[in-house]
Amino acid sequence: MGRQKNEPPPALKSPLETSSQERARAANLGSVAEGRLKLYDPQADNVRKFLDLLGRKINRPLALSFAACVHCGLCAESCHYALARPDDPTMTPAYKADQIRRIFKRHKDWTGRIIPWWVHARYPRDDADLNLLKNIVFGACSACRRCTLNCPMGVDTAALVRFTRGLLTELGIVPEGIFNVNRDQWETGNQMAVTEEDYLETIAWVREELESETGIRGIEIPVDRTDCDFLYVINPREIKFDPRSLSDAARIFHLAGEKWTLPKRGWDMTNYGLFSGDDSLGAYIAENVYQAAAWLRSGRIVISECGHGYRSTRWEGYNWAGRDQTVPTESVVITLVRYLRQGRIKVDSAKNPEPVTFHDSCNIARSGDLVEEPRWVLRRVCADFREMEPHGRENFCCTGGGGLLSTPEYRSLRLEAAKIKAEQLQATGAKLVCTMCHNCVDGLADVIKHYKLNLKVVQILELVSRALASGNVQS
Amino acid sequence: MSPFLRVLENEVQIVALLFLASVYVFRILWILRFEPTRERTRPAGSKREGIAYSLLSISMPWSMEALRKKPGFYVQFLIFHLGVTAAIAATFIIPYRPELFRTKAVVLLFQIIIGAAFVVGLMRLRRRLRNPAVRLISTPDDYFSLILMILYFAAAVLAVPNRFPTAEWTLVLFFGLTAFFLVYVPFSKISHYLYYPFARYVLGKTLGHRGVFPIKEAKEETAFGPPEK
Repeated sequence: MGRQKNEPPPALKSPLETSSQERARAANLGSVAEGRLKLYDPQADNVRKFLDLLGRKINRPLALSFAACVHCGLCAESCHYALARPDDPTMTPAYKADQIRRIFKRHKDWTGRIIPWWVHARYPRDDADLNLLKNIVFGACSACRRCTLNCPMGVDTAALVRFTRGLLTELGIVPEGIFNVNRDQWETGNQMAVTEEDYLETIAWVREELESETGIRGIEIPVDRTDCDFLYVINPREIKFDPRSLSDAARIFHLAGEKWTLPKRGWDMTNYGLFSGDDSLGAYIAENVYQAAAWLRSGRIVISECGHGYRSTRWEGYNWAGRDQTVPTESVVITLVRYLRQGRIKVDSAKNPEPVTFHDSCNIARSGDLVEEPRWVLRRVCADFREMEPHGRENFCCTGGGGLLSTPEYRSLRLEAAKIKAEQLQATGAKLVCTMCHNCVDGLADVIKHYKLNLKVVQILELVSRALASGNVQS
Repeated sequence: MSPFLRVLENEVQIVALLFLASVYVFRILWILRFEPTRERTRPAGSKREGIAYSLLSISMPWSMEALRKKPGFYVQFLIFHLGVTAAIAATFIIPYRPELFRTKAVVLLFQIIIGAAFVVGLMRLRRRLRNPAVRLISTPDDYFSLILMILYFAAAVLAVPNRFPTAEWTLVLFFGLTAFFLVYVPFSKISHYLYYPFARYVLGKTLGHRGVFPIKEAKEETAFGPPEK
């Protein structure tokens, strides 16, 4: 029996980078002054604060996930990190979860308090230990929940990872990329710090382009219109980098004769509270959306194509905000299903002749409820739809989930783990990989580039827009 | 039967069992002390179905990809836990229904089940020692609990013939280990079966509400299309 090296991969030895935090402190940002955005304090007793927070914030589902693991190791079979690095036992989800579980046991569990060595219970010694924990929970897990669904005991390792991220975020022990997006969301209400002026200008520009491109007169992208059928909330990426998505949606809504609006405030449905584990940020961002819907008296909230945005706005946001859901909240894919069912738009699948496969976003398929709906749409708008294996609830992460696209320090490890996704994509023989998540678009594009795959990433709105038959007139 | 064995089979077991039960009550109270969560969203599925699916998932190995990939692991799980059940049953049969073990076929059946569990226990110990990922996450409690189980199975195989006139030591060993187990279990990983229903219930409730459980295949299209949302 050879001795196994249990050294973490180099990417997980990243030091704590605090230059952005120092700038935020120097600028005396409102979110810092009000204590919403937490900064790292090297003089503080961070271990003590961490333990206090752990004791205060833990809830019953988390306590059960801490207590129930039997260390069977079966989770290694489902994790793309563990599968891509079979000789690295530190990639096993149970090992990653054990890094916080051992603290829980030392702090809360009887056996761990009395004979800690017997159950490997241990307190973190210093900030360096907390930084190592940061690297594991932010850098070696995309919180895809694949291990959760494959755990015979029902241990929700992804929830433990998010919980740990939340504790570390409270101490400012957080990757710089995540900190920056948290800061922007706190400060501007959207994760890409898009100003109101840029937002409105881009919308106007998208509308003009759409009119000239399609020749359809009277297309509107309304903002802050009251009493609409729905409020449409988007990913800031659609304003900053990829306005095609908003343009496709506007075109489809117009042809379907929809009465819709974007809000001027509360338009960002993405939510870094999910990734950073900061429930207060999660509540703040989600509440912006809910308040916009209430203020504009919208009949429902429709969420653009975004995995974590959907999960945050449809599911977690109401819980974080402590608000009972009163307004129907749905993905735009459900809206598309409705249009197709009601014949409000006509599509011709021959307009998308290339072989298309579908990538399920983890936050939608494993933490949400949509598996069949996107396929139902794709079978209508694509001539050659083919499944990748595994798919649906068992699909592998795009590898960019959990905020990993904002953390360049972990990129090498992420792309190594992406081997599993690359093999999965290649086996389909498809030319297009469709996903209903902007984050997955970037994650998959990175995988495709790194592994030199002959594939292009598209989204459902894009394929539906392309498939619109010439006989469409505004309903 | 010696007075020592009689006391060991009866009073000692009852005291140990009461101890286990009272510690379990504290364990459950400990779990309940943690704040429950409340779902404020409108459902996309059924909590009840999700809970039922989650609790029964252990009887549906096809529902988990990891078990589909490793069917042998599931077979081992079944044999091991059948062995546990048989061994526990023997602790009640020997003192309270000894006539059952006068039938040779019954004894043989118990010995086969528990013997198979003993072999699985050894296989699991080997895996825990040899598989680097499992070895890394294993604690002294994991090893001790497993070794204890293996010894317990061995003792149970020897004890079920219930030959106290000729081999009383096998019964003393078996009931001695049982008493130790009853006291040790609540503090060890073996108490996972106490957490199991709670953990699966909580997961099933959340994922059932969201329509994730029961897990559905992404089906070939039906005439009815996707479910109405």
